[in-house]
Amino acid sequence: MHPFTYTRVDDVEAASAAVTTDAVSRAVQGPDDTVFIAGGTTQLDLMRDGVWSPGTLVDVSRLPLADVELDEDTLVVGAAVTMADLARHEAVADLDVLRDSLLLAASPQLRSMATVGGNVLQRTRCRYFRDPEVTQCNKRRPGSGCAAIEGTARTHAVLGVDAGCIAVHASDLAVALVTLDARVRLHGPDGGRTIPVADLHVRADVDPARDNVLAAGELVTHLEIPVPDARTGYLKVRDRASYEFALTSAAVVARVEDGILAHVAVGLGGVGSVPWRATRAEEVLRGQRASLALFEQAAAAELADAFTVPGTDFKPELARRTLVRQLRDVTEVTA
Amino acid sequence: MSRHSLHVTVNGEAHAVEVDTRRSLLDLLREDLALTGTQKGCDQGACGACTVHVDGRRVLSCLTLAAQAEGREVTTVEGIGTADELHPVQQAFLDCDAFQCGACTAGQVMSAVALLEEDDWSTRDDVRELMSGNLCRCGAYPRIVDAVLSVRATQEA
Amino acid sequence: MTTTTNAPAGTATPVLGAGVTRVDGPLKVTGAVPYADDLAPRDALVGVLVGSTIAAGQISLVDASDALAAPGVVAVISHHDAPSVVRPNEASADERAPRPPFQDATVRFHGDHVAMVVAQTREEAVHAATLLHVSYDVSEPVVDLNDPRATREDDDPAGADSTRGDLERGLAEADVVVAADYVTGDNTNNPIGLFAACAEWDGESLHMWATTQWPSNTADCLAEAWGVPREDVRVECPYLGGGFGSGLRPWPYIHAAAIAAKVVGRPVRVVLSRPQMFTDVGHRPETVQHVRLGARRDGTLTAVEHTATIPVAVDDDNPENVVSGTRQGYAVEHLRADVDQVRLHISPPGSMRAPGEAQGNFALETALDELAVELDIDPVRLRLHNDATTNPDQDDLPWSSKALDQCLRRGAELIGWDDRDPAPRSMRDGDQLIGYGVAAVSFFYFQQPCTVRVVVRRDGTAAVHCAAMDIGTGTYTVVTQVAAERLGLGLGDVEVVLGDSSLPPSPPAGGSGLATAISNAVALAVTAVLDDLDLSGAPGRDALSRAVGARDEVAAEATAEPPDPAEMGMSPSGAFGAKFARVRVDADLGLVRVERLVSVIDCGQVLNERTARSQVIGGAVGGIGHALLEHTVTDLHAGPQTGRITNAHMADYLIAVNADVPDLEVEFVGGPDRLNPVGVKGVGEVGLCGVAAAIGNAVFHATGRRVRRLPITPDLLL
Ligand SMILES: Cc1cc2nc3c(=O)[nH]c(=O)nc-3n(C[C@H](O)[C@H](O)[C@H](O)COP(=O)(O)OP(=O)(O)OC[C@H]3O[C@@H](n4cnc5c(N)ncnc54)[C@H](O)[C@@H]3O)c2cc1C
Ligand code: SF4
Ligand code: FES
Ligand code: FES
Repeated sequence: MHPFTYTRVDDVEAASAAVTTDAVSRAVQGPDDTVFIAGGTTQLDLMRDGVWSPGTLVDVSRLPLADVELDEDTLVVGAAVTMADLARHEAVADLDVLRDSLLLAASPQLRSMATVGGNVLQRTRCRYFRDPEVTQCNKRRPGSGCAAIEGTARTHAVLGVDAGCIAVHASDLAVALVTLDARVRLHGPDGGRTIPVADLHVRADVDPARDNVLAAGELVTHLEIPVPDARTGYLKVRDRASYEFALTSAAVVARVEDGILAHVAVGLGGVGSVPWRATRAEEVLRGQRASLALFEQAAAAELADAFTVPGTDFKPELARRTLVRQLRDVTEVTA
Repeated sequence: MSRHSLHVTVNGEAHAVEVDTRRSLLDLLREDLALTGTQKGCDQGACGACTVHVDGRRVLSCLTLAAQAEGREVTTVEGIGTADELHPVQQAFLDCDAFQCGACTAGQVMSAVALLEEDDWSTRDDVRELMSGNLCRCGAYPRIVDAVLSVRATQEA
Repeated sequence: MTTTTNAPAGTATPVLGAGVTRVDGPLKVTGAVPYADDLAPRDALVGVLVGSTIAAGQISLVDASDALAAPGVVAVISHHDAPSVVRPNEASADERAPRPPFQDATVRFHGDHVAMVVAQTREEAVHAATLLHVSYDVSEPVVDLNDPRATREDDDPAGADSTRGDLERGLAEADVVVAADYVTGDNTNNPIGLFAACAEWDGESLHMWATTQWPSNTADCLAEAWGVPREDVRVECPYLGGGFGSGLRPWPYIHAAAIAAKVVGRPVRVVLSRPQMFTDVGHRPETVQHVRLGARRDGTLTAVEHTATIPVAVDDDNPENVVSGTRQGYAVEHLRADVDQVRLHISPPGSMRAPGEAQGNFALETALDELAVELDIDPVRLRLHNDATTNPDQDDLPWSSKALDQCLRRGAELIGWDDRDPAPRSMRDGDQLIGYGVAAVSFFYFQQPCTVRVVVRRDGTAAVHCAAMDIGTGTYTVVTQVAAERLGLGLGDVEVVLGDSSLPPSPPAGGSGLATAISNAVALAVTAVLDDLDLSGAPGRDALSRAVGARDEVAAEATAEPPDPAEMGMSPSGAFGAKFARVRVDADLGLVRVERLVSVIDCGQVLNERTARSQVIGGAVGGIGHALLEHTVTDLHAGPQTGRITNAHMADYLIAVNADVPDLEVEFVGGPDRLNPVGVKGVGEVGLCGVAAAIGNAVFHATGRRVRRLPITPDLLL
């Protein structure tokens, strides 16, 4: 780990002012960069891997952004709220998709350190990215190629990717958030803006070297999460029963009226270079009579153009089955 | 510049130290404060051996900078009991033979102590899930679950 | 000093057996337990090893100028300037110990030791390591077991190969023949405790605190490496944070600490990083196996063929016997067993939890299940029918003890074997397919000489001294028990000192052989000291104190030697076991979860029910990982990453977590073994073996799909 300076800020303005480069959005950080650190579970991990070497860390974990409030039908969650605290909050007790996306992630210890702001900004787990000795990685070294294409890619993405980079966005929470139409409030040197979580991340097939759209000094201050009038659920499929990222996952929000899918939103995890909103599946589902056959059709539509390499061959099929299962369980359709 | 002064309370004792900013809370404990009970199994948040309490919550000391512990109360395995006066969780681990080599044990014990303070669980399967952030390569898991549940049973009685 | 062979049959005395809590338990639950690195002098410098980024070639230059200029750096050591040390031989066999590092410019695997940075603190050393510039002349590595360019060794280092009868005849006599290939992936030991070594020189004397499962051998090898008298080398390791075989050999990091301390003239500490734990301390090699079984309609085996191909590192030895269980497991007249080693540019494989047997058992016991299906015979019955009541691999001598039949029968009872519907894919609960599977284990016997000193003090208390390690298996506790019982003392009156090469020499804590060796050595040393004191029986503290009289203490040493089977007219048994699994497989998602796992074990006299049970439970957990999760993946495709391990991280190399493990049922059957006075057989490794096959067979029963590959992951079941 390269030497760095550590400072802690007490207010949002000071935080924004401290960060003058856009390193938080870039895939790599160097000694000239100043970046935020919250729980540190991504930031320090990547520094320990030797992939990141920022010159200054600005600790934002103690900013007064630790409240959860219900504002009409929208949950407003401070960026410094930990995953554990949000999962335990009474406001999410009935919002299964959100609660389970948190409780099925990482471990109890990590959840009591990690913030929701940091979670949505976590970086890919691709081990070629995370080992600076690997020379072929377009994310770290644009133009160098992608070692994962012919290498070990079992945990890699098949949507929003091409042969340039197949890195997965591994957040469970972010998949729930895009499915719930959540927004992030940002505060920057020039004031604030609010954008959909769905617009926060940059797809690998667009620019592998950039992970999100934060401008220099922009701080995530809050998540705004509309609470839907629908049933929801999150299913995570992984080899190990716990403490593992998703091989595939599905977030489903659905309201069935007289057998018809009056409202439906679907997200997929473990398969996208960004938290994946399954809009193609939704198109097939919306306003239709809920049935297993329809779910199969919707899942197939979403995965139709998946980009696979030998290591990810099985993923579209597993993702299809994961989605069908979760649509079935949330809608309680039996045939 | 790349050093940092901080105040931290460890096992009830206040410390003022100056550290390399890169120093983790884990290495602060092990190297500077000679509290070697907390173990390092991966240094990257993936095993739980380094679990300690910060302000009463179980966290991973390897992914916490020492500097981030400023003003916090840190509790390590050395702070909850001694061989003569074991904490009920330590006693339960001994009685249930919930370890072999002991490398994960400090982390398991600290995790279990915190779990017993948390109230969002009830079943054996809950304990399995909520103790899954602590790997045990010796495979003492079923006996760790026994130990946790035996302490819960005494608490309730 | 007395040297005696184990007393013959019939003299077995029951040892306590009951579950005494671990004598070292309080140290472990309070964090006071001193592992090797905790004992290192606090003023030691920190050494960080730097691995190669290529898998084969020559180092042309290690440019240390930037690293040396970095804050806190004291030295950079590489082959350019390291002192020469001799490559030692392992004490156990005429087998080469791992190469000491920095002795030449050759790179033999990805991550091979290129240099070491020594600095004041770990942070400084790690940072400086990134500033080292290493250039290479790269050659093309061979890393794939199936690569035709790889050198195939047809010598037989493990003594694995065997031919019995006439295989072709056996096959001709068969009504049914099944044949298939089985693949097991590479696994990494990954004890939770990171391996550490600290060296301090005092002139030509070397003192080390180093993680090892075998202090005696580590000290022997260091003495040989440096050409110094054995008495001038001391290796201390009272505790280690798990080994599972990875601490059996004197690995390069131990030499690296000694080399660095020599160079800088101060103590140097080395703690491996987790990624280095994947390349520096051995791993369970992958295997490709072929099994062919012939049987008559009634289930009688007529022919068994089991061949295996496994990798071995360039310029290293690793006698891994993949077919030992097959050779002795079942009564079959015609057999061919053969292991071939293929040399690859990979980090040296070594022992991991039941080396060889873990992989070989999976192939054999899966093949037997396939045979049972083919014959339409109950798999438990098939195994009972072919149970070898004498050792077919050792002149059909009677076993010194064997209760495999009881293991199988009791296990079947416990899991409710006969209540299942035997038809594949016939049992279902909602989305979950349910299946049952069985496997048997015949673990090999292993014993080596072990010396113990028993000291009786003036106050009638005693101490036991031995260089052996307690790797978490309970050696401190069972040695205390055996000594206390035979001296008539309370457990608190016996002090056990282990893990120090300056104490009487011991065999490794490995091969499931230590408990037998050390408990018998303790028994003999107690007898010797009682002889010296003119006492007999278990005299108790007062009588001991009186007999010591005015002296400070009276001590005696004794060595337990492995007995000669031919002379004793019996074949020494290892442990036997039967494993039964009940699994749930998600019919759509392919997720396998183990719902029940029953282990019934014959390990002779159980020395301590509590610690023995923990060993079997721990083995079963390792078996679940072996079956479903664990896989060290090496990059095989041509390019700069060739030979690099792609998941050298605890979040990517999946070992079982608590939530993967159901309550594990364990029972012990059988009685004291006839071969040694204490009647004990090792229980260290039998716990893991058979679990993978039992789970795989259960997956077949649940789904109707036969997976002949480990680990069995969801993608294989879609
Ligand atoms: C072993 C392991 C297993 C894990 N398993 C899972 C899992 O199963 N599912 C899952 O979803 N996640 C998992 N994670 C990831 C974990 O959830 C994230 O690391 C964590 O949520 C990040 O939050 P943090 O507060 O620690 O962020 P930090 O590490 O502090 O920050 C992450 C990034 O966000 C930036 N940042 C932080 N806060 C802000 C802010 N307010 N505004 C702008 N930028 C900010 C930082 O500069 C940094 O780049 C796992 C992590 C580990 C180590
Ligand atoms: S998948 Fe992306 S991050 Fe991984 S190696 Fe390829 S380019 Fe790099
Ligand atoms: S050492 Fe902290 S989680 Fe492994
Ligand atoms: S007791 Fe050894 S790792 Fe848990």
